[in-house]
Amino acid sequence: MSEMPIQPLLHVREATKRYGEVRALDGVSLEIGDGEFLTLLGPSGSGKTTLLTAIAGFTELDAGSLTLGGTEITQMPPDKRDFGMVFQGYALFPTMTVAKNIAFPLKIRKWSRADIDRRVKECLALVQMEDYAERMPSQLSGGQQQRVALARALSFHPKVLLLDEPLSALDKKLRADLQWELKDLHRKIGVTFIYVTHDQEEALSMSDRIVILESGRIQQIGEPDELYAHPRTSFVADFLGKSNFFEVTVRGAGAGQVTCTAGEVEMQVQQRNGAAAPAAGRTARVALRPERVRLGPCGSERFSGTIRQHSYLGERSQVIVENEALGRVLVSCPTWKSQVELRQGQPISFGWDDDAPILLDDA
Amino acid sequence: MKRPSFFRIFMNTGAWLVLAFLILPMLVVIPVSLTDTSYLAMPKEALSLRHYENYFSDARWLDATWQSFYIGVLTALSATVLGTVFSIGCWFLSSRASTIARWVLITPILVPPVVQSLGFYRFWVQLGLIDTVTGVVLAHTLLALPYVSISVFAALANLDRKIPQAARSLGASVPQTVWAVVVPAARPGILTGAVFAFIVSFDEIVGVLFITVRKVQTLPKMIWQGIQDNIDPTIAAVATLLVLATLVLMLAGSLRKT
Repeated sequence: MSEMPIQPLLHVREATKRYGEVRALDGVSLEIGDGEFLTLLGPSGSGKTTLLTAIAGFTELDAGSLTLGGTEITQMPPDKRDFGMVFQGYALFPTMTVAKNIAFPLKIRKWSRADIDRRVKECLALVQMEDYAERMPSQLSGGQQQRVALARALSFHPKVLLLDEPLSALDKKLRADLQWELKDLHRKIGVTFIYVTHDQEEALSMSDRIVILESGRIQQIGEPDELYAHPRTSFVADFLGKSNFFEVTVRGAGAGQVTCTAGEVEMQVQQRNGAAAPAAGRTARVALRPERVRLGPCGSERFSGTIRQHSYLGERSQVIVENEALGRVLVSCPTWKSQVELRQGQPISFGWDDDAPILLDDA
Repeated sequence: MKRPSFFRIFMNTGAWLVLAFLILPMLVVIPVSLTDTSYLAMPKEALSLRHYENYFSDARWLDATWQSFYIGVLTALSATVLGTVFSIGCWFLSSRASTIARWVLITPILVPPVVQSLGFYRFWVQLGLIDTVTGVVLAHTLLALPYVSISVFAALANLDRKIPQAARSLGASVPQTVWAVVVPAARPGILTGAVFAFIVSFDEIVGVLFITVRKVQTLPKMIWQGIQDNIDPTIAAVATLLVLATLVLMLAGSLRKT
């Protein structure tokens, strides 16, 4: 896992793109490390695809610049950038065989016949499609087309590989398999991956770093575990996983811990590393992950409440507990060690560790 | 067995009548072409091939056929090239202006041929193109362009816009992209358009009557003049041959498909 990229390869500076009144990108600045697996994550309309197509050269920025290893590429046409791209829906050339699809970028680059043949074989082996060289794209399944698209985008040793929701058209099981494979492939070839998705699980499982975008702005950048454990805003806390939110008043702060009150309830709250201590009396917002809440028999935990709703999800159960002071609290508990019977209307006790609630920056 | 209902009988009879109405006038030329008389009529005493003989031995008929053929080929070539370039360009731009341009290009279909031919005549006089093959090819190209552009557009409508983007991202310049992925996708439309253009030119008469005098003689013009002057049954022979040629082509086409 890399921290901040040691050697930045690609710089995005103040990238801005407007479509009429809508700002698809609003002053986005970003450094992408050499060999990094970076994911652009956000809901639809967040600007993640616009940012990717701007990096690819298909979207012209209204303002801002792109540099690749110190060279300005903002105005460079897409075919000169040497970035591989895997499209949503694959965009394989329907009139060419699998082998010809993969050979296409090499022919354009005027490689010799022998070199092309060797490289096509290598790439087919890389994605385990050796037996399909002479098939037409229409004869392949979605997952196979995906592999061919990947092989084609990697065949010419691109400086960066751009992936636009490449797994979104596949069914869930295949998607999970391909996630492992993509990660493996990234480790093996060491090329920088920039990956766009709206699927938080995909982002968490594959990325070195995740950029969370909303309304054309970067909300937070960080490693997956860091983002999950220390979201900075309510948007991040709710988009990456789920969260309960409490409006609190700050009472006092010290050593990364803040004491707050939510109505009558006093609670200890975690602060992000390096964040300035909030002033006492300020109102703030606190996020609490559902899986950090414990349920127990009456009297065993700090708060008591009533089960309003529950749904069984196999490995976990989701429970909504209502408490007079805190309102409704979403709890996610593993089913295999549940000590209490989950029934609607049942009185129950619940609580959490002091390091579970997180203080957010936005009020 | 159930007795067919009145409605069914009515519909079936109707369908056959319409079919007969469409086909019989075409079939009438076959016995007429075999007539032993020297004017357009049904055979009187015997069947004769003399009008076919006449067609194949008369230089004027053969010249006209040849001229129609190569005007058709030239028209097909120029209309297909221009129409394809136009359609691919519009497809790439896909803006408001390109939609308007497409409509403008289709107007020749909407304007009455006589009006258009009058326009050709007025304009070709100034350009000195009256009674030249160039003039006819130019006029026919304008008439055939809508058909080519419509069929190429139909073929491109199915092309995923990400495919040219993919080609660009893989290193292909715009011309390379067009040649490698857009033209192959448009190919069925281009071929259909070329066939249409040839047909439009091959049986076009109104324009030819306006802009040619004596040097350019096309087949439709010969047939027209043949009817006006001497009711020569060779016309029926030519018509039969054309029907036969069409049938052969259609059969070959459907055999290739199956």
